[in-house]
Amino acid sequence: MTNRQKVALAARLIVGAVLIYAGASKAAGPVEEFAYVISAYDILPKDFVLPAAALMPWIELLVGWALLLGVQTRLAAAASGALFAAFLTTVGGTLLKGIALPNCGCFGDAVHLSPAQAFAMDLVLAGLCWYAYRESENPASLDSWVEAGYNSARGQEANPRR
Amino acid sequence: MSTPFLRRIAAAAMVVALSIASMLVARGARRPFSPQAPEYRRKGPRDAKVLIVEFSDFECPACRHAEKPLKDLLALYDGKVRFVFKHFPLRMHERARPASIAAECAGRQGRFWEYHDRLYERQEEWTNPKMDSVLLSYAATLKLDMDSWQACRKDPAAAREIEADLQDGGNAWVGSTPTFFIDGKRFVGAKQLAERGTTFVEKELKK
Repeated sequence: MTNRQKVALAARLIVGAVLIYAGASKAAGPVEEFAYVISAYDILPKDFVLPAAALMPWIELLVGWALLLGVQTRLAAAASGALFAAFLTTVGGTLLKGIALPNCGCFGDAVHLSPAQAFAMDLVLAGLCWYAYRESENPASLDSWVEAGYNSARGQEANPRR
Repeated sequence: MSTPFLRRIAAAAMVVALSIASMLVARGARRPFSPQAPEYRRKGPRDAKVLIVEFSDFECPACRHAEKPLKDLLALYDGKVRFVFKHFPLRMHERARPASIAAECAGRQGRFWEYHDRLYERQEEWTNPKMDSVLLSYAATLKLDMDSWQACRKDPAAAREIEADLQDGGNAWVGSTPTFFIDGKRFVGAKQLAERGTTFVEKELKK
């Protein structure tokens, strides 16, 4: 494994672990609790707040595990990058508007971060997503295991048994 | 079916299975809570069909704003619902806990709701370094027995009542105040209560 691949692996594992922790923390709490935080951001029509609160932990868990295991790594890194870009826009908007949120809601009730702390964290994680996207090919991933399956199938086609 | 295709399916299934497992493990952390509270923190008939439990913090502005929709709801279903108030002073509100104890001690003299209303109505008056003298003046205005009220404030039993409510709130995974439970269904904040509370009470009453 090259040094670049090692850094990309670390980036993937960090972002994946953060997303899994964030998703599980939100899932542990009631959906109404997270809906309350979302409505404080004042970005979604009220009818969308509860469905968004119910859906977000699932998205974070699926993308987080995909990154951690290296399944569809490029797609998962792009999806997590899009998530962090959305978080940055939302939290940045809150900071600009001067909305005083005691908790960003990023980790449910497990860890309380101020919007400024959340913005800094999201910025770092978005950078890691970009690196994981750029260096998505990695032997330490299920993608490479799937790829090995294709290679062995191609090998069998090239050298058919008599 | 080819091996690579099976491997792709297996990898995707692993992601889905681990996500579901994480969700189940996280949800397993929730515990039931007790809606118990002393009689002076309860309103409405004992045999009411609907039970509303509020976890609230006297220093929290959102709790003050929730008072109007809550009172409207209780007035609308007067005689049909039972209401229980539970203390949930947030750690970030340093004056919330002494205020809860002061209200609790007023409750022991049968004046909990008057003291409760005063704390919310005049929240800006006491959420400052002059808190102690302001709380004292509220007790005097309500004509409480000052000696026993003061003794109660120092009594560890009063603090234990607050702790017990905090424990219940923790079990119920209360993270924000005010949080309401209407027959166990959670409503966080004045907005959720105002938007969906009435419909839910109606539904419960029709059961």
